Amino acid sequence: MSQDIMRLRNIGISAHIDSGKTTLTERILFYCKKIHRMHEVKGKDGVGATMDSMELEKERGITISSAATNVSWLDHTINIIDTPGHVDFTIEVERALRVLDGAVLVLCSVGGVQSQTISVDRQLKRYQVPCLAFINKLDRSGADPYKVKAQLKEKLGRNALLMQIPIGLEDRFEGLIDLVSMKAVYFEGSQGEVVRKEEIPQELRAEAMKWREAMLNEVSLFSDELTEAILTGREPEDLVIKAVRKGTVTRELTPVFMGSAYKNKGIQLLLDAVVRYLPNPTEVENFALNLDDGKEVKLRPDAEADPVALAFKLEDGPYGQLTYIRVYQGKIATGSELTNSRSGQDFRVGRLVRMHADSIKEIEEAPAGDIAALFGVECQSGDTFVGRGLNLAMSSIHVPEPVISLAVSAADNKSADNLAKALKRFTKEDPTFRSYVDPESRQTIIQGMGELHLDVYLERMRREYNVSLETGMPEVAYRESISRRADFDYTHKKQTGGAGQFGRVIGSIEPLADKNYEFVNEVKGGRIPREFIPACDKGFQAALRKGKLIGFPIVGVRVRLLDGQSHAVDSSDLAFQAAAQGAFWQAYAKAGPQILEPVMKLSVEGPTEFVGHIFASINQRRGVIISSVEDGLFARVDAEVPLSEMFGYSTVLRSLTQGKAEFTMEFLKYAKIPAFIAEKLIAEGQRSQKG
Amino acid sequence: MIREEFIKRSPLRILEESIHGGLGRGNLGVFAARKGIGKTACLVQVATDKLFQQKSVIHVSYSSRVDYILKWYEDIFHEISRSLSLEYATESYEDVIKNRVIMNFNQEGTRTDQVLRSLEAMITHGKFGVETIIVDGYNFVESLAEDLCKFKDFAGRMTQEVWFSASLKGEEPLFDDRGLPRELERVLGAIDVLITMKYKDDKIRLNVVKDHHYPPAGELMLSLDPTTLLIAGS
Repeated sequence: MSQDIMRLRNIGISAHIDSGKTTLTERILFYCKKIHRMHEVKGKDGVGATMDSMELEKERGITISSAATNVSWLDHTINIIDTPGHVDFTIEVERALRVLDGAVLVLCSVGGVQSQTISVDRQLKRYQVPCLAFINKLDRSGADPYKVKAQLKEKLGRNALLMQIPIGLEDRFEGLIDLVSMKAVYFEGSQGEVVRKEEIPQELRAEAMKWREAMLNEVSLFSDELTEAILTGREPEDLVIKAVRKGTVTRELTPVFMGSAYKNKGIQLLLDAVVRYLPNPTEVENFALNLDDGKEVKLRPDAEADPVALAFKLEDGPYGQLTYIRVYQGKIATGSELTNSRSGQDFRVGRLVRMHADSIKEIEEAPAGDIAALFGVECQSGDTFVGRGLNLAMSSIHVPEPVISLAVSAADNKSADNLAKALKRFTKEDPTFRSYVDPESRQTIIQGMGELHLDVYLERMRREYNVSLETGMPEVAYRESISRRADFDYTHKKQTGGAGQFGRVIGSIEPLADKNYEFVNEVKGGRIPREFIPACDKGFQAALRKGKLIGFPIVGVRVRLLDGQSHAVDSSDLAFQAAAQGAFWQAYAKAGPQILEPVMKLSVEGPTEFVGHIFASINQRRGVIISSVEDGLFARVDAEVPLSEMFGYSTVLRSLTQGKAEFTMEFLKYAKIPAFIAEKLIAEGQRSQKG
Repeated sequence: MIREEFIKRSPLRILEESIHGGLGRGNLGVFAARKGIGKTACLVQVATDKLFQQKSVIHVSYSSRVDYILKWYEDIFHEISRSLSLEYATESYEDVIKNRVIMNFNQEGTRTDQVLRSLEAMITHGKFGVETIIVDGYNFVESLAEDLCKFKDFAGRMTQEVWFSASLKGEEPLFDDRGLPRELERVLGAIDVLITMKYKDDKIRLNVVKDHHYPPAGELMLSLDPTTLLIAGS
């Protein structure tokens, strides 16, 4: 069994959106004999690449949802998680990365390291994923793998190491020189399936020697044995491979491979490299949290141990709900009993399958390290499944708070049912997508991480669920906060027949950084009896839910309760809750209340001729330009821009730059909004309250 | 407040006095020294001084990655906060640097025309009005004399002062008998203020060797502390 785990690779293919990732995945499936025909992403044959399973993705030529698929290469099993490329869907990327042991970072040989590549790279680093780089599209005009390799170093700080050099480039791209075996490799046959190895052409020998030496020089740091071998003038292939593997697994090296997925060149060598250099599940440490004592437990990738698995992805497919799992310890077998450690529910494993994009293969068991899928399990994404008696949770995946919301309503009754179904499914699949019914307006509100994020779900509601929808204007998730300390001394008193109510609270509120709320009880001598303190806390928290300026939640407040007064008969939980709320509003008005807005980190990239337009577009949106980096023909502008100003930016940017610039955006921080906008918002809020 | 205090106590006031009230709009100033002597530290302090005065600064760089430049500003700010008493350090770094834009041209041989075009775009389209531009890593040795003249024209037209660093790479003696760097001889005409930096008695001394049309002040009562890289009166 352990032999099998050693022959397993769980990899992701991470990339910028247009770097040809889907085509590359398609080719991998083809060479691994998982599919028998190849399509392009925007296929002329209207079929679309196999990994792109969703309609919408086919239309837009992008991959949003990660599908796991299983292939074999050189006697090894490779699980490929197809990860989305757009930064608005990072939760999907991050969840996929969590379960990977290694990744292939795909780059375009013309565009090189672009802003999305930087985002993806940051995520790979955050989850400490060992990585190979693949420079794609060597057949394109302007292809320059050496430049891209240098960018990997300069822009991403990766110790990038060329393992191959190209034979010809652009329309003369013929094949590759493998710097380990020192052979020229050509890809022939109608679909590049025949790999022919030859001597290196005479005119490229010196060049190849130069790059091999550079490679050996770097790699020898990872092996004394290899250093010695180099000194004696012979460098056995297996020693080189072992050293590169060591450097890669410890994330000190990023070996660089190249080719053209579209022209069917270089893919087989990349697959060789995945098997050779990326770690197997036993080489990666994984931890779970013991829910009994809060301590971290190291998991053993041992099939005989008690099972632990993480549900990292849910999908509602044509065959019912599918739960993708990664097994970390023990094995998951059909018929075995498991517990969902979050809900405490026990269940029996019914159908266990391996996925290949849209087709399914039944399996009996999935050992530690493997990725598989379960049918018919009631759970949420991120849940941990454990064997009976264990109480472990895989540490949670960081889920950011949504920053934008939108009111949606169904146009008719049938749509309303479908809308409810769609929301139930999407919110389960994607923790950054949320929905609730606003108690005041009774409208359904959806929330997410950006305009595009919500757009994609709206589209999916229309297409997959046939919902005919009406939507409101997107609304930014503002917050309210205070800017200075203020005191309160408030008495809640009611004596209008029946039991009276009495509670008095004295204390202060003050700004608190990095935290939403803190309650400090400094009441001495039982002036407020101990049993009413939680009620005070509860009252303050209730007040924080909706601010008085524009009705958004209040954050960053520390409440100090110093003193108070109670009545032997009339004091109650309710009375103190009411007193706390009254006290909060008394102090809030004096505490310099202010409105905060989400500020996004924006990165715009485009040809240098358009920098003026880009600068102007940021300036017009109250943006602060942090830097602009020009690299020959391309420029990248980084800025901080309020989210409220960014609606429709993609259309504006497209028209300003003839569609040649693109941007990525992610949440950065909450910041105080300028006074003139605060006044406008407050006035609007008051108008809508009156109306 | 740290602002007023910093502005008043800044050793850059001594520098300004020594060069007759500062570099001045439309003029070019240069810190010249060998590599590793602290030219960037001087430029970042000139910039930080302006930022404290709530004036905007564009920092143009040719050589470094943007994160290195950001780090420079953080370090210098940190050192300044530490050198003044701690109670002043509450002034947030974000507040100070919000009027700074970094423009990095990281391909070797980016043409001056291109740099100036982008600078102009930032100032006009980006509506980023500045008084001071910092240019770090400009290659004085390999650039044409007319390129510096283009900067000079730009500074005049846009009414800005531009501070450069010049990395001296030649053989000894680096300086002629007037203390002027021999490598900069052919561009001296375009430079209004030239300050050379030399390591002497455990400190880095600043010398004004050209000062507009005035006789230069020579060695200043200013030096760069090699540990903190802060300019200080000596």
